[in-house]
Amino acid sequence: MIQINNLTKSFTSKTGKGFKKETITVNAVNKVSFECKPGRIFSLLGPNGAGKTTTLRMIAGIINPTSGSAIVDGVDISQGNDEVKKRIGFLTGSTGLYERLNPDETLDFFGKLYKLPEKELKERKEYLFEKLGINEFRKKRMGQMSTGMKQKVSIARTLIHDPEVLIFDEPTSGLDVITADSIIDLIRESKADNKTVIFSSHIMSEVDLLCDDLAIISKGSIIYNDSFENFKKEMKADNLTQEFINRVKEA
Amino acid sequence: MTELFIIIKKELTELLRDKKTIINSIVLPTLLIPVLMFGGIKVSQMIQKSNEEKKVKIGLVNAPDDFKSLVLSDTLNQVTNYDESIDFKTLIDDGTIQSALVFSSDWGVRMDSLESSEVQVYRNGTKDNVNGRVSAMLKEYSAKLKEVRISQLNIPVEKMTPFRETFVEVGEQKELIGKRVGGFIPYIFILTMWGGCLLAAIDLVTGEKERKTIETTLSLPISKFKVLMGKAIVASLLGFIPALLNLMGLILGLQFIDGIPEVITSALGEMLNFQSITMILLLLIPFSLFLAGLIIALVAGATSFKEAQSKASPIIILIIIPLVMALMPGIEFTWATVFIPVLNIGLGVKEIMAGTINMGMYAAMLLSLITFAIAAIYFSYKKFSDENAILK
Repeated sequence: MIQINNLTKSFTSKTGKGFKKETITVNAVNKVSFECKPGRIFSLLGPNGAGKTTTLRMIAGIINPTSGSAIVDGVDISQGNDEVKKRIGFLTGSTGLYERLNPDETLDFFGKLYKLPEKELKERKEYLFEKLGINEFRKKRMGQMSTGMKQKVSIARTLIHDPEVLIFDEPTSGLDVITADSIIDLIRESKADNKTVIFSSHIMSEVDLLCDDLAIISKGSIIYNDSFENFKKEMKADNLTQEFINRVKEA
Repeated sequence: MTELFIIIKKELTELLRDKKTIINSIVLPTLLIPVLMFGGIKVSQMIQKSNEEKKVKIGLVNAPDDFKSLVLSDTLNQVTNYDESIDFKTLIDDGTIQSALVFSSDWGVRMDSLESSEVQVYRNGTKDNVNGRVSAMLKEYSAKLKEVRISQLNIPVEKMTPFRETFVEVGEQKELIGKRVGGFIPYIFILTMWGGCLLAAIDLVTGEKERKTIETTLSLPISKFKVLMGKAIVASLLGFIPALLNLMGLILGLQFIDGIPEVITSALGEMLNFQSITMILLLLIPFSLFLAGLIIALVAGATSFKEAQSKASPIIILIIIPLVMALMPGIEFTWATVFIPVLNIGLGVKEIMAGTINMGMYAAMLLSLITFAIAAIYFSYKKFSDENAILK
């Protein structure tokens, strides 16, 4: 379960020439509130620069909010984000893999830091390698892998500690349809396992396939937040993409 | 603590799988000193041999016969006699001769009457080998003439030698060589240490940004401080190891390279004992952490390898200047210099090598380096925690 209340993130930058400096404060995320329930897939949609990544980074404990609160699986992020991080599997376009390690070493590294018992780590690793088809390249260095192979390993390292909360930001981006399908399957499986899933994608067919609840963020603020069923009922455009574009433009 | 070790292990594995790191941090530092020693000795031997075998073309005017025979006694000398003084500058410039000696026209008369005369030496001041050999001949000839005159005047040799200098060396050979050579040793290993730390710190911080793994690392359930400490320790190790290999290279070079003067080999061998090496390495541990912390702080906001290099490279000046100062005469290891980083290592290593280090000052220097290391780590932690800089 994730409960977000009035989450705000401001960035301060200094501009100007010589001795004349101006401090500019911009709210990248402005009083954002929403709730993601276990066993449901929550889609956070928004155009580039809307504040999606900043929101997800705050939830994942990577950056600290300026104000507001976020409770992840019963832990307030302001109480110590290491505890929050243990409960989250975080995968975005910016979470690359260590190029000089192989999948085996990568999962061992993450598993040990998540303090998984050795036996459990081994079993979980073997399960994920089998499920995602990583076994054939498990000893190959990341730097020598294709985008698809890397993404499979990224998914595996996100799931290694079997987290209660999963954050997937464009997990199928750049993948072939077969790999993408196996990842969609995994997200569905997580939902079936009663996990809380935040899923973000620009591929509306995937959103349509997976989404239970939906929030649209634009210019740092939430402009829509309801169930996907209601969203579809309220749709005025012919398709999801057009409806999304219209909503963002109207906001 | 376990988490820190996991981070260190992963960072080290990654770095040591990079060919660039292996070459810069392991291969080059190990080979640097032996190659420099071996190359230096071989080159100087070759130059010396080639100089000794070179012909010297000398032009003579009014030269007395005994001088001519002295010159010709060395078969490498090629003599051309001239009747009068001509444009020797042109002849030297075009290589016809390399030096010309013009004796005064009344040389014989002046010598017979025991008067002083003049020899004009035409030479190119940049040709050290030619000038050295010509000067040696003139000196030898002058000594011979003096001897003849002394015997002609029936003066006992003792009367012409008011005193003789004899040197009683009170400083140990180790102290002498330690203070001379000891100044150059920190030069080599501090610079390789800098290079190792710089490459590693940039790879571990800016490299992670370039490879888009910094967010992955920050999503780990460990504090930013531990992540930073892991990176700083690995960067300092990659600085410390080359310095250690430098010292090992020096010891191996002394053992296996022929041609090093015995006096230097034995003195350096005596200096580089277990105690002095331990004392030097103890200083280098906090110093490498200081360098690593400082570089990480400087490159934390950089988004590319190039930007990181341009941000950190100017610091090399702050390292070279104190090292040069440590070599200057008059700058000693005192309570004033003991707290200045780099300068204190430069001066301190000299004292350690010479065996004259004051242990109280050594402890103060070590403490000051530890303080600087803590300050640099704190500074780098502040920069590493800056969300604007690290996630740029």
